[in-house]
Amino acid sequence: MRVPLGWLAEWIELPPALDELVDRLTAAGLEVEEILRTGPDLSGLTIGQVLERRAHPDADRLSVCRVDVGAAEPLEIVCGAPNVAAGQKVAVAVVGAELPNGLRIKQSKIRGVLSDGMICSTRELGLGEEAGGILVLDAAAQVGARLTTVIPAGETVLDVEITPNRGDWVSLLGMAREVRASFSGTLRLPECAPPESGAPAAEAVRVGVEDRTGCARYAGRVLRGIRVGPSPGWLVERIEAAGFRSVNNVVDVTNFVMLEFGQPLHAFDLGRIRGRQVRVRAADSGEKIRTLDGHLRELLQSDLVIADAEGAIAVAGVMGGADSEVTETTREILIESAYFDPPRVRRTARRLGLASDASYRFERGVDPEGQVRAADRAARLIREVAGGEVAPGVVLAEGDPVPLADAIRLAPERVNRMLGTAFAPGEVEALLARVEVEATLTAEGTLVCRPPRYRPDLRIEADLVEEVARIHGYDRIPNTLPEGAISGVSLPPGRETREAVRSALVGAGFTELMTLPFVGSEDADALRLAPDDVRRRAVRLVNPIQAERPWLRTQLVASLLRSARANRVRQVDELRAFELARVFRAVAPGALPDEPTQAVALIGRGSAKRLWGGDPPPVFFEAKGAAERVLAEVGVRTSFRGGDVEPFLHPGAAGEFRVGKSRVAAVGELHPECALRFELEGPLALLTFDVDALARAGRAARRFREVSRFPAVERDLALLLGRDSAAGELADAIREAGGESLQSVRVFDRFAGPGVPEGKVSVAYRLVFQRLDRTLTEPEVSEALARVLALLARRFGAELREQQKGGGS
Amino acid sequence: METEWNNFGALNFPEDHPARDLQDTFFVEGGSLLRTHTSPVQIRAMTGRTPPFRFVVPGRVYRNDLDATHYPMFHQIEGFCVGEAVSFADLKGTLYAFARRLFGEDTKLRFRAHFFPFTEPSAEMDVTWRGGWLEWGGCGMIHPRVLLNCGIDPQRWQGFAFGMGLDRPALLRFGIPNIQLLFDGDLRVLEQLS
Repeated sequence: MRVPLGWLAEWIELPPALDELVDRLTAAGLEVEEILRTGPDLSGLTIGQVLERRAHPDADRLSVCRVDVGAAEPLEIVCGAPNVAAGQKVAVAVVGAELPNGLRIKQSKIRGVLSDGMICSTRELGLGEEAGGILVLDAAAQVGARLTTVIPAGETVLDVEITPNRGDWVSLLGMAREVRASFSGTLRLPECAPPESGAPAAEAVRVGVEDRTGCARYAGRVLRGIRVGPSPGWLVERIEAAGFRSVNNVVDVTNFVMLEFGQPLHAFDLGRIRGRQVRVRAADSGEKIRTLDGHLRELLQSDLVIADAEGAIAVAGVMGGADSEVTETTREILIESAYFDPPRVRRTARRLGLASDASYRFERGVDPEGQVRAADRAARLIREVAGGEVAPGVVLAEGDPVPLADAIRLAPERVNRMLGTAFAPGEVEALLARVEVEATLTAEGTLVCRPPRYRPDLRIEADLVEEVARIHGYDRIPNTLPEGAISGVSLPPGRETREAVRSALVGAGFTELMTLPFVGSEDADALRLAPDDVRRRAVRLVNPIQAERPWLRTQLVASLLRSARANRVRQVDELRAFELARVFRAVAPGALPDEPTQAVALIGRGSAKRLWGGDPPPVFFEAKGAAERVLAEVGVRTSFRGGDVEPFLHPGAAGEFRVGKSRVAAVGELHPECALRFELEGPLALLTFDVDALARAGRAARRFREVSRFPAVERDLALLLGRDSAAGELADAIREAGGESLQSVRVFDRFAGPGVPEGKVSVAYRLVFQRLDRTLTEPEVSEALARVLALLARRFGAELREQQKGGGS
Repeated sequence: METEWNNFGALNFPEDHPARDLQDTFFVEGGSLLRTHTSPVQIRAMTGRTPPFRFVVPGRVYRNDLDATHYPMFHQIEGFCVGEAVSFADLKGTLYAFARRLFGEDTKLRFRAHFFPFTEPSAEMDVTWRGGWLEWGGCGMIHPRVLLNCGIDPQRWQGFAFGMGLDRPALLRFGIPNIQLLFDGDLRVLEQLS
């Protein structure tokens, strides 16, 4: 809401410093978002009269003026304007005054003559372009007075954010009350009661509330013989400063009074109300009305309307109808001032997409007792600006009254326990009194509190605790730390693994991306997903931010490939990036979806030829190596199997990492069809991690293992194998045959060439045997090795090439 | 994704109340939604638990809003603490301790009255930043109805909650002019941050 300060100052005395007001309102919950001005700040300037003009001794174009500014002695001012002349009333910036552009005037010597200020032009005053010299004021201007007595000053306007719980704040009255609560002072309410004459209002129109829950009160004022036309300057200035557009004198007054009291008003052309009858009722289903904005609206029974004898003439609390609009020919009006049910107004306004200044206030709840006062005030002002006469009496109809809230019991020690303060009961009472909450202290020491009716937000004890804290000032409440030690800090399952995967990927040189989860429907096909793939079960948004991307992603691969493409377009050639996030997979209608956590990394090699070092190994090996490194850092022991594991990976250059029977990661080069779809050229590989599966596996792997006091025995085996043997499967077989004393198996050499038969490869494994309970004997180790060799020979056709005792061999 | 109850209802957002306009929500067919804040974790964590307890919850949240300072996806961190005498003063002290660790020892905070449906009293807090105030987040004493909705007796237990955005401090720290740059996947930008 925009609050013109000059207007607010008419309601309550403001603190002298703007900063003080702004800081206090902001601290109290009325956040001042912006300080605006409607015109230049001329408050530092004075009206002067040129007594004498004489030529400057040293400059043809300058003159030296003696200027009376109401001080004991006239000032000597050097002036460069050709139009300055004795007798003129002029705008003077004396030494120390500030011009609207921020320039502060100092005493200065101009071509050898001392000048005590400046006679200002329109440009210097910020009022327009130069018009041949200084601004000459009206001869009636009073010498020595402030310039703002003859030139409209321009206003400082606070743009204040109103929280949705405080309907009462959306008015000058509400602002003034808040200023009073902070700085004290007395409210100066404007005169409301209008002079009345002519036939009683009740003879001009009958009003009735039929929908009693929709409208607690309907008050009306009737004016006759008015002249609708432009508003006077003061009215236009005020409502424009508050951000409203001037329409005509009647509409402007209804807005003016709404700004004053927070009570929305509507003016009907009474001559166009059929049957001279106003009914507040539920709309008929399908009933139509053309609203003031020219749109034909179809209504539901849940909407509340104002109707005349024949049909709806306004959507209650939201917008008036075009057929009863006040026009230039209107002579007789009905001013409506009502209390409409807040949720009802909100539902209708939202459904119709019609948020108006009226609905904004009704939704938040207007003062249930403010209807008559606002109708009176509007009648009085319309009579002033549009003539005519106010018919005696207020036409009034009542629905179910807004329930009077129960008194709230507030124990002062409860306030202190909640806030960490030490208020005496009297202090609590006094703080509440500043916001017009009446509190009575009972014999048991409890305060029985009654908030004012314009504060429907104060309903329970906690609401009053906030008022006490707010008025006292949050910053004056002490700062302490909660008592009690923290015992048993725990992380949710999966979190540790997630961070381990993330830091391992970062450690492996990948940059983390975070992208929006919103996607189109083309991804599933672009990734060649099978018709029954779980990643086709997407969740759809009702209100997407981009209509062509209404789905939530079920996997991260497509997003990452799109990011890769976008980076290539930006000429980033070498890509090493990953994303780690939850994805969404629909389970059942209405149920929350599955949200597995995944990580997908990508290595894309640029097209630039390497200058040295020859051809790099295939990107698949680089990706596989990176995946192994990440898995090792996460602390999961996996086995690798090559094969066609994902539809978007190249069937001949891909594989998966397993823990037991379940996949925890996959790696492979991008399938050529996908490369085409995502327009990605050059070698490109993907690494995908099932973070949830890693978390399950990781927990098991990280369990403490007892360390042996007894020596370990190492044995190295060099085996001749077929070139296509999978090292992972071999290691699994070695573990299987090695028995419980086999602690670890790892490959430490792989060799093909001289000495190794054609089509074969030599692979060297180091096996470590150890027991927790005793030292192993040589025969035990030999026996285990024999079992291993037998199984490898049977399953893989492996031949022993060499066997050595390990450790430094 | 979250239920409407956890995101709004249990947190004391009345139906047909303008408080729901504070957050532009992405809805899903069937009534679920993308959570608009990390506060529904209060409901998930407190339901079925007996105080005293303290929680810290970082997470990703979504709002249907897009301009230079708003992005449909961003991050918050939520904290809440419930006990028999956990007070507003404790809330202030805790946030002071947090702010000084994060922004430096001479950091100051400013608490302004505000409105959140799920806290009462409620405050917004600002932190000193390069000679001015930077809006840092919201906080307050957990609304008794929220405790009640989690099966906790508000006559016996009370506590505070706070939540703040994580993205904005990151933008300021790195001097990134537009939040969109964080989520655009542009490696030329992101590689500078690692």
